[in-house]
Amino acid sequence: MSEPVLELRSISKNFGGTQALKDVNLVVPHGSLIVLLGPAGAGKTTTLRIIAGLDAPSSGQVFIEGMDFTQHQPNQRDIAMIFDNLALYPNKTGYENIASPLRIARTPKNEIKARVMEMADLLKIRHILERTPATFSGGERQRVALGRAMIRQPRFYLLDEPLSSLDFMLRIDLRTELKRLQQESGRTFLFATPDYTEALALADTVCVLIEGEVRQIAKAQELYDEPVDRDVARFVGNPPINIIPARLTRDNGTASLAIGTLNMALPAEMEHGLPSSISDVEIGLRPEHVHMVGADSTESHLTGTVNDLEPLGMHTTVGVNLGGVDLFFTVPGVQEFKDGDKVEMHVDMGSILFFDPKTGLRIS
Amino acid sequence: MARKIKLELVNLRKEFGDLVAVDDVSIAIEESETMALLGPSGCGKSTILNMIVGLEAPTSGDILIDGKSVLAVPPGDRNIGLVFQDYAVFTHMTVRNNLAYGLKVRKMKQPEIDREVSKVAEFLSITHQLDRKPDQLGASELQRVAIGRTLVTNPEILLLDEPLSNLEAAMRNQMRRELRRIQEDTGQTIIYVTHDQIEALSLAHKIAVMDFGALQQYDTARIVYQYPANRFVGSFLGNPPMNFLTGKMAEDGGRRAVTSGESTIPLPAGGFGSDVSIGSNVVVGVRPESLSLAAADDPGRFTVSVLAVEPQGPETVVTATFGDSSFKVIVPTGADVVEGGSISLVPESDLVALFDAESGVRLLDSGERP
Repeated sequence: MSEPVLELRSISKNFGGTQALKDVNLVVPHGSLIVLLGPAGAGKTTTLRIIAGLDAPSSGQVFIEGMDFTQHQPNQRDIAMIFDNLALYPNKTGYENIASPLRIARTPKNEIKARVMEMADLLKIRHILERTPATFSGGERQRVALGRAMIRQPRFYLLDEPLSSLDFMLRIDLRTELKRLQQESGRTFLFATPDYTEALALADTVCVLIEGEVRQIAKAQELYDEPVDRDVARFVGNPPINIIPARLTRDNGTASLAIGTLNMALPAEMEHGLPSSISDVEIGLRPEHVHMVGADSTESHLTGTVNDLEPLGMHTTVGVNLGGVDLFFTVPGVQEFKDGDKVEMHVDMGSILFFDPKTGLRIS
Repeated sequence: MARKIKLELVNLRKEFGDLVAVDDVSIAIEESETMALLGPSGCGKSTILNMIVGLEAPTSGDILIDGKSVLAVPPGDRNIGLVFQDYAVFTHMTVRNNLAYGLKVRKMKQPEIDREVSKVAEFLSITHQLDRKPDQLGASELQRVAIGRTLVTNPEILLLDEPLSNLEAAMRNQMRRELRRIQEDTGQTIIYVTHDQIEALSLAHKIAVMDFGALQQYDTARIVYQYPANRFVGSFLGNPPMNFLTGKMAEDGGRRAVTSGESTIPLPAGGFGSDVSIGSNVVVGVRPESLSLAAADDPGRFTVSVLAVEPQGPETVVTATFGDSSFKVIVPTGADVVEGGSISLVPESDLVALFDAESGVRLLDSGERP
């Protein structure tokens, strides 16, 4: 079947005077896992509610399997929507919790059994089917809840931050599990999250929604390497990318960047890529594209002054002042600098991204 | 530099019927230091907090502030500032009145109150919001008000109970930075209760890791992260967490190795693990970032098959098999690793740990602990 299971065409939504969604277009193919990524208030939930039929769009259409479903009632759409607060029936066993949607649909008994068992295997919860929720761990509860939500086989699933209320260890486990489940079952997921790492871990394709607009639809890694604009660059990656105003000057065929009080030569191949009309830019420098070197290093380096330190385990984020500009970079391991310490840093000029300071669009 | 001990918990114990909620915990917190009380829900950290504040009496043990027992001191007189995750600001009062409240209760004079309030407001960058009501503020601003309201009373100890849990990720990062600044600028002694290892690592001078009511380890962020005292600590800190490769001790080409099924991981050269007898069950603990792709001639290398490859921006998380279990490795994005293929790895030798298979207690350090 080549028809996409879901297609949003020019969806806009106004709430009073505010425009929550602006001309949203999205195609969700059969069997895909697409992540709708965006900060709180970006319009993720509104988008899902419009797809589910819980809200009507102000304009635009929702196509499901090639048919216009914009005017259809939620129960006519055959979609499952899964939230993060999945409640269980406390007095029913794991088995009965998962089976309940099928019982309501009057599915034959032997089919119920086969499907519950299949779901229990997928979620690795066979051992708790006979127990009641009071004896479940947090992860088991969420698995049973997911099993119940997924036992029906609707056209596709809308998942609205389904893991956000879990401990982070559990979240990591379950997202790997969800991805496996989606791949093995061939079902279609549209998964909303504000968490970029979750998007990376889960998705084939990520749709970035910011301020009600689809800014970029791309592979997760591509968002990181080639963001279309400043907002996407900032939203993707932690610690966030450093965005620094800079001035580009060209002199006799060599280009340099003035940042704060510093002047740094720009590799020739980068200079060629930039329109000659441009001089004021904002540069995007990812924290891992600055690294520490010894004072006697032969690599070009600059001296910065430490003004913040955030050990995060695998990495430490170091705040430095470099030529009057504050920026953050990451170093491996748990480091123990003090404020005021001097560090020598090499900036990987080839990795710098350029943005138009007015429009925020990336210049490439 | 030995600083004064501000707060000391001495064999602190709390039982609820048969349940031991806090199991003889002893911790000394230095003045002007941030101590994080870290653990999963139910580990006893809230009970400890309640005992420090005075809302709960210990079954046995003592709590000393500046060397004096405070068990007989009523909660209101312990001079401990408390900030919760849900802010608990007065919604009917302006920010100004919220900040002033604690001082009014203390019957401070109005000009003095005004001075203190504007000082703390400026310090927390909420001066322009002084005349607003809490319902006009965002979550991080509310948390600033809650912190300000407590700071203004100049407490001996500031207790923060999961203060960032209600904030979204970007705001949490910013508030972490802010809290570090507040601590540095005021020299306030802070106890920070959290289940989030990132907050503990990034904010605290020392971390007390709790599980099942018992103190598992109490040390600096770096030591707790690099040299976990037991499996629990190794697994609770780090994202992805520490790997635990279970197997039997063996000998492999003149050095010790741990094997499971077809898999073998050589232990660091130089006699590491030689006093653990061959054939005993052990667990190798190694963090995903302490394994790296090995050169073809590296004698410490081992080869494993790749289950999954997940690029995460600059780094890629690779899931590989060891025996019949799996573990994770961090490699640079773009490295030549494919699902279904194999990779050769070598552990960073001074960060390999060996744990007892049964008790989970650390047997040896491979490196000298700096």
